[in-house]
Amino acid sequence: MATITAGSRRIPTWLTGLVPIVAIAALVFVFLVVNPIATLREIPPVEAIAFERTIFQENGIELQLRNDGPDPVRIAQVLVNDAYWDFSATDANLGRLETSDLRIPYPWEDGMPVNIALITSTGVTIEHEVEVAALTPEPNASTLGIYALLGLYIGVIPVAIGLMWFPSLRRADKRWLNFFLALTLGLLVFLLIDTVAEGLELSAATPATLNGLSLFALGALGAVLGLMALEVKLNARRHGAQTGSTAVGGLALAYLIAGGIGLHNMGEGLAVGAALATGETALGTFLVLGFALHNTTEGLAIVAPLGRANEQRPSLWHFAALGAVAGVPTILGAWLGGFAYSPAWAALAFGVAAGAIAQVLWQIGRAMSKDRGLTSKLGPAGFIAGFMVMYVTGLFAA
Amino acid sequence: MGIVTRRGLIRRLGAGALGGAAVLSGRGLALAQEHSDMTGGQHSDMSQPGQLGHGAGSLGAVGTVDHGRNGFDPTKILTDFDYGETSKDRSGRTVHEYDFLALDKEIEVAPGVFFPAWTYNGRVPAPTIRATEGDRIRIKLVNASAHNHTIHTHGIHPAGMDGVPGAGEVAPGEEFVYDFIAEPFGTHLYHCHSLPLAQHIHRGLYGALIIDPKKGRPDAHEMVMVMNAFDTNFDGSNEVYAINTVAFHYMNDPIKINAGELQRAHVINITEFDPLNSIHIHANFFHLYRTGTSLEPDEFTDTISMGQAERHMIEFTYREPGRFMFHAHQTEFVELGWMSSFEVS
Repeated sequence: MATITAGSRRIPTWLTGLVPIVAIAALVFVFLVVNPIATLREIPPVEAIAFERTIFQENGIELQLRNDGPDPVRIAQVLVNDAYWDFSATDANLGRLETSDLRIPYPWEDGMPVNIALITSTGVTIEHEVEVAALTPEPNASTLGIYALLGLYIGVIPVAIGLMWFPSLRRADKRWLNFFLALTLGLLVFLLIDTVAEGLELSAATPATLNGLSLFALGALGAVLGLMALEVKLNARRHGAQTGSTAVGGLALAYLIAGGIGLHNMGEGLAVGAALATGETALGTFLVLGFALHNTTEGLAIVAPLGRANEQRPSLWHFAALGAVAGVPTILGAWLGGFAYSPAWAALAFGVAAGAIAQVLWQIGRAMSKDRGLTSKLGPAGFIAGFMVMYVTGLFAA
Repeated sequence: MGIVTRRGLIRRLGAGALGGAAVLSGRGLALAQEHSDMTGGQHSDMSQPGQLGHGAGSLGAVGTVDHGRNGFDPTKILTDFDYGETSKDRSGRTVHEYDFLALDKEIEVAPGVFFPAWTYNGRVPAPTIRATEGDRIRIKLVNASAHNHTIHTHGIHPAGMDGVPGAGEVAPGEEFVYDFIAEPFGTHLYHCHSLPLAQHIHRGLYGALIIDPKKGRPDAHEMVMVMNAFDTNFDGSNEVYAINTVAFHYMNDPIKINAGELQRAHVINITEFDPLNSIHIHANFFHLYRTGTSLEPDEFTDTISMGQAERHMIEFTYREPGRFMFHAHQTEFVELGWMSSFEVS
């Protein structure tokens, strides 16, 4: 016994920790050099290509591709609507996870479907169906402006209008205040479900090798942990040395809600921007109005925690800041969606939004449970009302 | 809110797209030079605008096929008539002897696109067997491939020489000699008749069998055009159509013929999976000899459709020099490779 202890003491801890790393490195080396499982792979290669972005230009089509399979792929020919077509590629040989840009000078027709099939060196065809071809907007001052305006209409202005409920909230009695807080809760639960559902669908659309679900989960957990850390910091500042204290103050809570809603709105902007850019949607008046109504209630949710009697009235610039935090990300989202959309990033972004909303829900829930807000007379009604308002206004934007 | 669930609904709102319309002229976009990075600077002639009547623009395969690696060149196959080892038997009859080797081989059917072919003598289509009516043909088939194969000729012969399962089917490593008299005269074909049949034919086991009439025919520049197709992804429909295997080959390397000279093409359809194929020549008409079994033409036309194993002899003469297309008039096949041209000088 004693000898063993003495023996193990001679080897430093860091060195023992290194042993498995060296061993796995050796294993990797052996597999790469000797390739002992080569005899198992006599079957044809598995060839997969993900179409990450399709850009329709005045003089042709550009595709951003990624090798989404375990084996290298060589793109030999391109068929557009069942015709061999001229093309150029930045790299026709794609290793695992490698990307390539393909340019096809094809005279596509606006508003019509386009079928693109890549023929690989082994004769496999990998197809990409575009339901409706439409010119992809280029990022210039004019299009950036249009998308910013769009973000302004569906995100910034509605949220700012919603903030105008603050004076009436101030005057409302405690019962009604609880109603509105519960309404906020219901509204956020709706947004959470919506965001999770969208995020999961995006995860499924992400190239398999990039594992969209993990990206979504990473975003969500990152947001929750990040906001928890932020909360601890805010509390520390508020209570001086008194760390470990619970529930944040009304204004901090308002900012957290604004932040969570802002991230959700970024996802919303992303979705609308991408849908517009890929010709998936037409920008109807009804659509914009639907989003505006939908998002006005978000403003109410933000100011609800400020209505509590023990809260001081925040200065006016706080309202501007709250509106900006919740609304401006819509514009950023619209830009990203319109000009740099990829499902992998979108899955991550939706994860962040879902995590942020979950964290905010937790905050409000905790604040309300302290004064039994949710189980008060108007609590459940408020919760259902919040959910229903989002559901009904959501119908307009659907 | 998102891309996936709402897209269907959003589209239905349909109130004028933000993006605006793009209607393109789209002809001869000068991007042909751009793919030098992948093809070593080679590209099809079709990507040079204005050369061809149809305004082919940027239609066509990118790059070129390595005929050296394939071991055969469609341009040579066109006029490669194989009379075999000829000798006379005791009765004075001419005997044509052939050595055929069944061989599995990967071939390039469009630039960079490889197909796991089954071949006779490593080429698709297989050698064009040519003899005169009444001659004796002896084909020794040695099977060096992984599957059973036969040579089934379209002609008149005894049952034992039919080249079907039970009569002249050759297992891997074995051999058989098909021995028959060449009749009737005409444009014929041969192919493998092992099962599953569609697979054995489509994989490349076919070739032309041309039997000349004893009287002979007028002098002409003769060509063999085997209309074939390849289902490269094995989904039951073809990705590549061609004559003599390589997509767009005679666009990149037009068939050189002389104005005023009689042209005689033996056109054979062995396309699998499609009920019909066809040939149409531009700016001209041809005399059609159905199955080549007559000395008088049956028809004067510029387009003829054929089912699988239908074959005809066509004769035409171009009066003026120039570049003339010829192709299937199933235009889908055209855009998938069955597009060719004559360079008349």
